[in-house]
This record gives sequence, C-alpha cells and structure tokens, in this order.
Amino acid sequence: MRKMNMYNVKRFGKSALLHASIYVLAFITIVPFIWMILTSFKDMGDIFAYPPKWLPEKIQWNNYVRAFEAAPFGRYYLNSLFVASVVTLGQLITCSMAAYAFARLKFWGRDVLFYIFLGTMMIPYQVTMIPSFMVLYWLGWIDSYQAMIVPGLASAFGTFLLRQFFMTIPRELEEAAYIDGCSKFRVLWQIILPLSKPALATLAIFTFMGTFNDFIWALIVVNSEHLRTVQLGLAVFRDRYITDWDLLMAGSVMATMPILMVFFFAQKYFIKGITLSGIKG
Amino acid sequence: MPGSSQKQYHAKQNRRNFITGLLFLSPTLVIFSMFILFPVFFSFYLSFHKWNMFSSSHAFVGLANYQRLLTDPEFWMVLKQTVMYTLGTVPLNMIIALFLAIALNKQIKGKRFLRTAFFTPVIISPVAAALIWRWIYDPNFGLLNYATGIFGIPPVNWLNDSRAAMIALILMGVWKTLGVNMILFSAGLQGIPDTYYEAAEIDGAGRWSKFWNITVPMLTPTTFFIMIMSMISSFQVFDIVYVLTSGGPMGSTKVMVFYIYEYAFKFFEMGYASAVAYLFFAMLAVLTLLQVKYMRSRSGYEAL
Amino acid sequence: MCLKLDKIRYTKVAQSLAHPKTAHKRFKFCVYLMMILLLFGCSKSKTENPDAITITFWHSFVASTIPALNDLIEQFETEYPDIKINAQYVPTGDALIQKLITAIQSRTAPDISWIHSDFLADLVDADAIYEMAHFINGENGLADDEIKDIYPALLQYASLRKKLYSIPMEATNLALIYNKDLMRKAGLNPENPPRNWDELREYAVTLSDDFNNDGKFDQIGFFVPIFPASGPLSGWMMWQWIPYLWQAGGYIVNEEQTEVLYNSEAGVQALTLWKEIYDKLNLKTFTADYDVAFASKRVAMSMDGPWNLPRFNTMLKNLDWAFAPLPAGPAKQATVVGGEYLVIFKQSPNPDAAWTFIKWIIRPDVQARWAMKSGYLPVRKSVSKVPEFVEYLNEHPNFKVFVDQMDVAQVQRPLDNYGLQITRHIAEAIEAATLGGMEPREALNRSAEKSNQLLRSLNTNSDN
Repeated sequence: MRKMNMYNVKRFGKSALLHASIYVLAFITIVPFIWMILTSFKDMGDIFAYPPKWLPEKIQWNNYVRAFEAAPFGRYYLNSLFVASVVTLGQLITCSMAAYAFARLKFWGRDVLFYIFLGTMMIPYQVTMIPSFMVLYWLGWIDSYQAMIVPGLASAFGTFLLRQFFMTIPRELEEAAYIDGCSKFRVLWQIILPLSKPALATLAIFTFMGTFNDFIWALIVVNSEHLRTVQLGLAVFRDRYITDWDLLMAGSVMATMPILMVFFFAQKYFIKGITLSGIKG
Repeated sequence: MPGSSQKQYHAKQNRRNFITGLLFLSPTLVIFSMFILFPVFFSFYLSFHKWNMFSSSHAFVGLANYQRLLTDPEFWMVLKQTVMYTLGTVPLNMIIALFLAIALNKQIKGKRFLRTAFFTPVIISPVAAALIWRWIYDPNFGLLNYATGIFGIPPVNWLNDSRAAMIALILMGVWKTLGVNMILFSAGLQGIPDTYYEAAEIDGAGRWSKFWNITVPMLTPTTFFIMIMSMISSFQVFDIVYVLTSGGPMGSTKVMVFYIYEYAFKFFEMGYASAVAYLFFAMLAVLTLLQVKYMRSRSGYEAL
Repeated sequence: MCLKLDKIRYTKVAQSLAHPKTAHKRFKFCVYLMMILLLFGCSKSKTENPDAITITFWHSFVASTIPALNDLIEQFETEYPDIKINAQYVPTGDALIQKLITAIQSRTAPDISWIHSDFLADLVDADAIYEMAHFINGENGLADDEIKDIYPALLQYASLRKKLYSIPMEATNLALIYNKDLMRKAGLNPENPPRNWDELREYAVTLSDDFNNDGKFDQIGFFVPIFPASGPLSGWMMWQWIPYLWQAGGYIVNEEQTEVLYNSEAGVQALTLWKEIYDKLNLKTFTADYDVAFASKRVAMSMDGPWNLPRFNTMLKNLDWAFAPLPAGPAKQATVVGGEYLVIFKQSPNPDAAWTFIKWIIRPDVQARWAMKSGYLPVRKSVSKVPEFVEYLNEHPNFKVFVDQMDVAQVQRPLDNYGLQITRHIAEAIEAATLGGMEPREALNRSAEKSNQLLRSLNTNSDN
C-alpha cells in the first residue's frame, strides 16, 4: 500500500516535471508570435520604444483597417487561398502516387530515379529559379494562375516524405488485398492512404504553408493586379529604407491566420489511424 | 526448370512493375522534369558560362568559374561557417524535436495547444521574426542578456561579435525549424502500431527498453528522412541569415546560399553562382551517400 | 497470427472507407469551395477606353506615397486623354532586380520602370533600355536649358559612360537630424547644430549620457551608421559615408576610372572621424535600429533623408526635433544625392508615349506639386520659383533644409565598371575599421587593393 503511494508520488512528480518543462519551452517558443500580435495593435510610438514595450498603450484596431485598405487584400487573400489549396490538393495526389511507386514497386531504374529526386533538393533554389521561369515563359504561362500552380504540383520533398512513411506500413496488409484481387491503385487508395493520414496531413500543412507564404516565385511570374497574392501585398509596407511596422505586423497577422487554421484542422489527423486503434476491439 | 520459370515470372513482374511504376510516377515526372530537372541541368550548364541574366547571350568560359571559386578564400570561409551552422542546428534540433514529439504523443494536457505553440515559429514570417530576435539579442535591453545575467554570465554583444553572431544565428535557426521536425516525428510516431507496444508490455519491457527496441527502429525511416532534410535545409539556410545578421558582422555568418545569392543577384554573376551551387551539391551528395551507407550498415533496415 | 490481425485491420479499413456518404459530402464540399474560389479568380477587371495607349509603369513607392502618385497620374491622364498610365507596384530592392531580370528575359518588361542606378550598367550592357538622347533630340524633345535646369548631380547619377540613360523622377539627399530637447539638456543651443567636423566630434560626446552609471552610454550623441557590409543596409551605410569623403576633398575613383582614390588622405580622415566617434561612444554595444532609438530619445543626432519626413511628423510628434545640413568637412560642405530614376525599355511598344509621360513629370509645376504631396525633392532648380512651392518651403523648414542642400549635393562619380563590387569594398572597409577595430588606413588600402585589381583586369582584357 505504502509502496504504491510512493510510486504514485514519483510518477506524479515526473509527470509534473514533464508538463512544466514542456510548457516552459512552449512559452519561450511562442513569445515571438505573441509579440507579433501585440505589435500589430501598437502605434508607431509604442513600436519604436527603446527599451521595448510589451503592451500597447492604446489598442490600435485601426492598424488592421489601414493595412487592409493599403492594397486590395480581399482579392489577394482569395488568390493565395485558391493557389495554396489547389497546389496542396494536387501535391497530395501526385506525391502519394510517386511515393507508392518508390516504396512498393520494384522496377528497373527506380533507385537511380529516386536518387535524382533527392539530388535536386540539394541545388539551391536561387540558381534554378531563372531557368524554371524560362520554362514557364516558353509555355506562355507568364502572368496566370497556372504559373503559380503547375510548378508546385510535383515535389521531391513530398515524394520523399510519403515514401518514407509508406515504408513503415506492414506489407502484409497489401498482400491480403492483392489476394482479394485488388489493383495497385486500389491498394494505394484504400489501404495505404487511409493508414497514412498523419503523413498526408503533415505534407498538406507544409505544402499549404509553403505556397501561401511564397513570395519570390509569385513575384516574378505574376504582373497583373488581379493575380497578386497576400505576400506580394505585404511588400507594400516595406521600402528600401522604410518599413511601416504597424501595418506590416497587422498584415502579417492576417496572413498567418489561414495557415494556423489549416494547422489546427490538420492536427485532427494526428491521432492514431483507425486501423491501429481498431485492433483492440 | 522451376528456377527458370521463377526467373521468367520475376522478369514479367519486373516489366509489369516498370509500367505500373511509370504510370504512378507520370504526373510527377512530367512536372518534375520541366520545372525542376531541366532548371537543375540548365544551371549546371550555366556554371561553365558567364551570364549577367539581363543579356540574352552567355559566354562559355570553361572551368574558369570553378577555378576561381577554389582559389577564393571567401568561399572556404563560407563553407566552414555553413558546416558550423549545420553542426550547431541539426543535432540539437533533432533531439529536442524527438523529445517533444514523444512527450506530445503521451497523455499530456493541452496537446493541441502545445503542438500549435511549437509550430508558430515555422509560420511566422522571417521579417517579423527577425524584429523580435534582434530585440532578444539587443546588447542593452535584450531578453537573452537579461536571462543569462541572472546566472551571473556577463552580457554578450550577440550580433556585433564575430563569434557570438553564429551562436545567435543557430539559436534562432533551431527555434524557427523545431516545429517542422516535431511534426515529422509526430507523424512517424503515429505510424507505429500500438500492438507492438502492447506485446512488449506483456513481455514486461520497461520504458527505455520499449524506446530502444520499438520506437527507435520503427522510426528509422522517419529519422532518416528528417536527418537528410535537416541537413539539406540547414546547408541551404538563407532567410534567417538575411534578416537577422545579413552575413555580418564582417562576414562571420555568411553561409553558402547567402554567398550564392550575393553573386547571383547582387553582382549578377549567375555562372559563378551556379558553379558554387554545384560544388556545394557535390559535397552534400557525398555526405548524404555516406549517411545512407552508415544507416544501412547499422540498422540493416531498408531505410533508403 | 500476424496475418489474422492484419486481416481484421484490413476489413476495418475497408469498412470505414465504405462509408460513401461522408466521403461524398467532403468531396462535394471541396468542389464547391474550388468553384467559389475560381469564380472570384475569373472576375474581370473594369472596362477601359479602348483607343487609349496604355503605358505600364513599375514603381516601388510605399503605401503612404501611393495617394500622391495616383493624384499625379490622374492629372496626367486628364491632360493626355489618349494615354493611360498603368502604375504597378513592384517591391523594391532585390525583388525589383529579380522582377526586371525575368521580365526582360520573357519580353514582359514594362514601358517605364523606376530603377536604382547601381544596376544601370547591366541594363545598358544588355541593350535593354533606350538612351535618353533618342527622345531628347527627337520631335518632342527637351531644350538645352531644360536639361541644364536639372541638378547636375542627378544627371550624372542618371548617366553611364557619359551617356544619359534615365531621367530622375524625384531627388533625395542626406541631412542631420537632431533632438532639440537633448541639446538644451546638455547646455547646447538647439538652434546651433554642429557646423563642422570639430563640432560634430565635440557634440557627439557632450550629448552622450550614462544615466545608470554602468559605464555604458544609454544616450548616444551621434549615431554612426554601421551595418553589415554584406547586408541590405550596406548601400545605406556607404551612401552616408561618401559625403564625409567629399567633405574632406576626396574622390572614389580617378577621372579615367582606372584607379580608386577612396583610400587617399581624405578617405582616411573621413573614416577616422567615424571610427573615433564610434569607439568613443562604444557604439558596438548599441542597437542598430537608430530610428527606434532616436524616437525613444536615446540618440541625439543621426542622419536621414527627406523620404522619412512624413513618417517622422507622426512618429516623432512628442519630440522637439529638426533637420540641419550635414556638418562641413575640412575641405568643403557636401551631401550625397539619391533618388529614383525612370528608364524606358526597348521592349516597349510605345516608347514615345512613355517619353511623353516622363517629360511631363519633370515639368516644373508638376514637380512642385509632386514634391509637396510626396515629400520628395524636386529635380529642377526652377521649381524653387513656383510660388506655391516657395510658400510651402517657408511653412516646412525641415523640408527646406533638404532643398537648400541640393546646391552642395554631389554624386559619386558613376562607376562605369564593377560599380557594385567597388561599393561593396568600401562598405567592407568601413565595417572593418569600426566594428573590426582595424586602422582606417589599413582597412581602406586593403579594400582599394581589391577594387584596383578588378579595374586592372578590365584594362588587360580590353588590351588583348
């Protein structure tokens, strides 16, 4: 009896320590984010306080109104959401198909192809950007939605990520399906993908975030006002020497929200997959 | 006789797999070859040329770009600093991320909030992040000096000191990318069937034994992925360098991609920038291959 | 055993997926969402006058200047109804460069763009832009006096290898900003800002203060702008240092552009002045966000340009502050000129209409109106004769400081070759001498060595 209590106390202490250390770490990590939100409500005087001030003297809702009015942000928002959603959806499809081939099908040239995929990630974007742009130009796609969408529909990162995950799925599952006469596509669609929800959710988050936050590609491929994205809009608050910090921060908070929402939503898939918890019953 | 029929069967299987494989890969391959593979080869071609990007023609210069970069002392300095940054961020980042992922996989209160909290640095814009980090590192009013001061550590001039600036950059780098690896590890952990743990518990395995015998081996593909990706991304670190230190003070935080960027878009020497990118690629590729070899020999697991 | 378990799993998966209703619902939702988004994506912009020629104009004015620009364009369009100006915002700095490179390569360059003179050479070498003589000597040209009316420094800045390739749209220069209250507190007359280097040195120390006696200054007399030479503020640092080089009688490069001269005695003097103040005030441990510090009364004097005036009027409203000309050096008084320049691209289908717009922009009355609305300085001397502008200057003494300084404003002799690299070398010397603690002469010589090597390589190449 007494021993039991001791054990509980020790366990409780350990768990409290774990909780405490994680919450402290989380707090440290989230401070800049909180600070960004607080800053978005400050006026220039408060932002430019040295030593810095935490809280705004008076909450400036107006920053948001002014930031929103500085450019047609409503339109920019829709563009960003549209492009990011299509790219995310597309990448989930193309990457899972490619990843399945790399993880499960044994065929001539597979490994070489995979190493090429890996290798391309090691060439920095800065030197491939201009040639990529030229391809788009040859296709006659400059200044269009496809210019922002199509190049994003294939991803070495996404393929690699899903491949690694698919490889952890026990093969026996599929073999059972093959015996039942399922095609490879059906196996991917009905067995592998449902089991890979955490990985798919992860890829969705990263792709959505990457596309939504992209600045440089959208900058060079788009000219027209009606195609511009949020990140391009935010640039209007920064000059070579001047930054309108109040508006930039308000704009940044607005630009962060959709990603935060996608993250929150995608987290749902971070619980154990159906199959794995279903075994117990 | 049975051997040859099996061979035939395999050959047939291989051919069928080849066609199916291509079918599965086709959407990716088409886009990949246009927007990734072609540009990659084109920049390789450019590394033997001189091109300012404004003009429509480029002159062939042979190996001159490579020759020049091998004799540029700045290149070697930049390489050293890139390696330092990578060594500083990758292990630290992976250890903390794994710890967090495991902790958040357990019964802990406020999981959703915590995960989101650790992910916020990833989504915050680098410009906004740099603003607060410059304050954290401020020599007079900075949070960091205040915090270390409590333990009696004398104030450090984080961003104006050649040695401290790299540490400052590493800290911000870990902060910024921790969420990525945490999420990846979490996804990997979700993939480990509970049955394995349950079976181990029946056998009376302790926590550490479960960690080493189930979690670690089952996570190998994920860990491998994270290791390679972290290495690539920290070798290619650019955004936070640009906004926090801009390569200063006196070039002490200038890293590889920053150097490439400078030559490409500051001095308009795309040929030279491409040559740097390729030399750098060769080094990364060798490092990755070594890792693959090591992982294979150690775990025997087909991680790659 | 394993297989049995997995069989169960497999059927579970199949069952859960066989729920056609939820899956279908989700899919439908996605489709609707896409359709809504597409609908928004495809809505057409408003219809326009079909006869008008449209001139696309890329600029990087910040949000606060855009109303002034719109006003300008509106006025132009009423005067010239058959030309429509499509002003497009392009983020400045590195983004503008990347945008221009890709636009030229894809033949989607605008008719007019504003550029920074530091990459003028590359545009000219690529044969991407018109030489202005093409228009100036044309039917709708400019008279000689009109050209001479533009501040010579601006024209010099707009030229390359003695040929004019761009037209300044507005001017800027650098002046001293100071906090009058802090002057009073230190026992100095707030109406007498430092007039020469000696006073600058002296005031910098007098105006510094260590409130908490920890041995470090909490208030800085004069902010010496040191930024990483490799960073985006490198040019800004260099731009602020050049006037000191001129004030000491120095030059960046010789007349023939075969050798750099910034490591001359004048250069050493200028850099020594900066280094002395930097070391004495221990600026190494001070924040680099000088405008933040100025607004918080932590900096008594620093340097800035007229583009910040509208911002300072609100940001510094609790402060008693003023602008003054830069202090004179041992040789003379000088400041540096900047500004944005307009070029016409050869890809333009309507270069003459583009020129009409540029020519109109530099008309004195337009310049006056533009200056008063935007806070930038006019590019022509005769603007000072426009009555409304004279009145405006009297009401805005800080703005007047900048306009008056245009008479002593100089420009770095345009570097015909390796301009970007040489500018970088100078920035490296400034950083090394202050942050790095190197001797100014040694730092300048080391940089000059690198610059001269580049210039020499050019000569040997052309000889061959």
